[in-house]
Amino acid sequence: MVALKINGAVREVRSSPDTPLLYVLRNELGVMTPKFGCGMAQCGACSVLLGDEEVRACVTPVSAIEGQEVTTVEGLADRWAKRTGAAARDGLHPVQEAWIEEQVPQCGICQYGMMIKVTELLEANPKPTDADIKAALTTSGPSPHLCRCASYAAILDGAHRAARIMAEAKGQ
Amino acid sequence: MSGADVIETVETVDIHGATLSRRAFLGAGGVLAVSLGLVPSRVLAQAPPGNSLPPAKAGSWIEIRHDGTVLIRTGKCDFGQSSIFTAYRQIVAEELGVPIEAVTTVVTGDTDTTPDGGGTFGLLRGADNLRKAAAYTREAVIDVAARRFGVARSAVTVSNGQVSGGGRTESYGSLVSGRDFQLTIPVEGELTSFFGLRVAGDPPFKPASAYTIVGQPVKNPILAPKISGEATWVGDVKLPGMLHARVIHPATLGSTLVSAGKVDAAQFPGSRVVVIGNLVAVVAPDEWEAIQAADFVAAETKWSEWKGLPTHEGLFDHLREKVDWSALPASKGKSSGDTTAASAGAAKRHEGTYFFPYMKHAPISPTVSLADVRADGSVVLHTHSQNPQYLRMSIARMLGRPEADVVVRTYPGASHFGRSNGGNAGSEDEAVLLSRELGRPVRVQWMRPDDMLWSTSSSTMMSRIRIGLDADGRIASYQSDHHGPPMQDDRPIGAILAGLPTIGAPTPDNKLGLQRVSMGISDRWVYDAVENVAEACHATYQIGQRESPLEIGLRDHSMRTPIQFQQNFPRETAISEAAALAGTDPLQFRIDHVKEERFKAILLRLRDEAGWETRPSPSPQAQSSGTAVVRGQGVSIMFRDNGYWACAAQVAVTPDTGEVRVERITTVMDLGIVVNPLQLKRQVQAGCLMGVSQALHEEMAFDEGAITSTDWSSYPILTMEEMPEVKVVITARPEVGDYGQGSESANALAAPAIAAAFFDATGKPARRLPLRPDYVKAMLTA
Repeated sequence: MVALKINGAVREVRSSPDTPLLYVLRNELGVMTPKFGCGMAQCGACSVLLGDEEVRACVTPVSAIEGQEVTTVEGLADRWAKRTGAAARDGLHPVQEAWIEEQVPQCGICQYGMMIKVTELLEANPKPTDADIKAALTTSGPSPHLCRCASYAAILDGAHRAARIMAEAKGQ
Repeated sequence: MSGADVIETVETVDIHGATLSRRAFLGAGGVLAVSLGLVPSRVLAQAPPGNSLPPAKAGSWIEIRHDGTVLIRTGKCDFGQSSIFTAYRQIVAEELGVPIEAVTTVVTGDTDTTPDGGGTFGLLRGADNLRKAAAYTREAVIDVAARRFGVARSAVTVSNGQVSGGGRTESYGSLVSGRDFQLTIPVEGELTSFFGLRVAGDPPFKPASAYTIVGQPVKNPILAPKISGEATWVGDVKLPGMLHARVIHPATLGSTLVSAGKVDAAQFPGSRVVVIGNLVAVVAPDEWEAIQAADFVAAETKWSEWKGLPTHEGLFDHLREKVDWSALPASKGKSSGDTTAASAGAAKRHEGTYFFPYMKHAPISPTVSLADVRADGSVVLHTHSQNPQYLRMSIARMLGRPEADVVVRTYPGASHFGRSNGGNAGSEDEAVLLSRELGRPVRVQWMRPDDMLWSTSSSTMMSRIRIGLDADGRIASYQSDHHGPPMQDDRPIGAILAGLPTIGAPTPDNKLGLQRVSMGISDRWVYDAVENVAEACHATYQIGQRESPLEIGLRDHSMRTPIQFQQNFPRETAISEAAALAGTDPLQFRIDHVKEERFKAILLRLRDEAGWETRPSPSPQAQSSGTAVVRGQGVSIMFRDNGYWACAAQVAVTPDTGEVRVERITTVMDLGIVVNPLQLKRQVQAGCLMGVSQALHEEMAFDEGAITSTDWSSYPILTMEEMPEVKVVITARPEVGDYGQGSESANALAAPAIAAAFFDATGKPARRLPLRPDYVKAMLTA
């Protein structure tokens, strides 16, 4: 049995320790926002936060992350509330709010990973430039975060709006 | 007698060819439900199979409930366009005369709960079904109100959910309250055919000048549940007792099974191998075990060797030199004047051969399906499809069972840009066959290489363009000859491998669906000022299909702006080269050769919006060698779905490295009625960037036996850092009446604009895609 900390709760899992986190989240724990995209850390559809760092759940065996804090999109709102003391409006993290407000997704399958990566960015750099956002989503991780619909212009708008929402919330 | 049970006299009224009947008191409830009445005189009309919405029963299309809320149903599915949740609600609300908020429910896709079928493409053309259903409904409500109020129909008005006449006003909900009205509308076609059912007749439409909801930037209601994590995607569906499967596809596109590997029971205790003909799969209750066991078994599985493909490096030569284009009849597009004489008399001539590679739809998530075949042989298939009724037909055909035995349920999934508009995208049929074999629900998730190697691909094209210029530098003659395999093969791959019935390989005389081998002009001629035009199309069989013992080969499929992209790239690139030959600015050259004012207007707008420099190409600073960056601009235009499109690209090229960067891309379009400017803008921004991806990166690689683009490193797509500045300019002309369709076109326009900008920057033509460094260096030294 491996004990994982998923979105603030300790979960004992039965899956074999070499199982990638992605399959444990989706099949054993019912945490469904990390999506299967490539299984090779090439696209970012399965991204989660491990502590403060974005990792690819499809290639991360659960044995390697025992006891470490994992956050998925399901846990973003609580993470925001816990870290800032600000209430999560409508049960959403500012990045999620911004994604709805800016109507960012086309099909949306890659956007969970995009939102995870942008959360990682904004926690470290609350006022990013276009170049910062593009770099975060292209060169900062094991691979670029890919969007086949190419919703990149909307993602840029979404990231800037999220930064504004976060700044406003912290200012209050 | 109690009010709730009283059956009133059934009263029927003709409403513009639809039939309204008032059936009963219902107590507190009440509904006006629109059902389908098949037009008997139409050739194709036949009753839908069982497990479909029965004709002439309540609730097929639109339901108006006693609380005033409205439910709509469509057989189309969402693939990121948003239209069925935004534009469709707007169009229905507009025609009914209710607020957009009243349209609370959209039922989509599932074969047993939606009425019309047909492929999810041309969504706003397809909106005509619900638009007509809504118009019939409004007319019926007016009739009900006229009787209630004791006034003539002409004295009744509808606005904002309120129906007024003779000094009285009632809401839609109140008018139907306590009664069950059924409106039967005329429908033609065949539910499980490629195009599905169409609502017939000509109910009166609200004039566009009176629109208040169409044209508003309505948000997409399905985004919030997706973003919050509440939405159930196709890959998230689970059933009790479900097994996870991975399919071990053949070594090549022509390999047959020699022997299937065995699973190591000690290492993989829950796994087993299933073999059905040439279809090999591994199943296990645990997904990670299934993945590992499938890798183990795949390594032990033997396939026959096969070679029968020209390779992607040899494809251009294969199309130019090896294919016998006279074997199948050619078809003509625009044909006017005398191109032979005009070309012979031309002052200058441009001639070029252009090449468009195979591309992949390449959804971010590989295809996944979950099938549940019950002991009685009935099938429930949980999947993601652009044409669920046609998929249902394919599954029934494969199993040799009636269509009534098959239900397809649909869920959100990754966009795949047309790949399943003929029903399947891959995995659906395999899940069904494995579930039938094992008597348990089976989930088939294709891995990334399965999705790259075993899905269909966007087809290749080789085009010869000849343009003659007169002494004034105007186009005297235009001749095009497009050569390629057909656009579409909708056979499910698992059924082919298992040796089970399909709609058959594409051949010149296959009349099922779109399986006929043919090639026609998709890129409509737009330069009306040119007198002498001859467009011809030449078809061939799918590459490798007749050589493959499995009849597989490189299976083609429509992909975002299909065939028009393949034909517009050579045409527009050649027009830019001809403009250079004429010494004329390429944007002005286009204005000079179109007659349509709407084209002239968007080109003038593009000139302003794009920061266009008016001058002939190539640029005075053009260089084809060196390490210094050279810059250029290019333009392209297209007519599609009654919409006028123009695009300008500004690029930077580093000749010695072959690197091409798109710095800015501007798209201007006039689409007639813009239903939803917010969603249109997002769609066009993204479509345009997908086009940049296709222009710079995308070519499906293959060797003599198999596709070799297996993943994102061997089939790269645009990354966010490569994103240019994107500008989208929407112009509206509501008076023309057409609903603007924005999910296509933008992607296709980018490539010829980028190719023309490359020519402007370097002075060397770019007659093939993609513009990636190795090809670019070859172009620059040619």
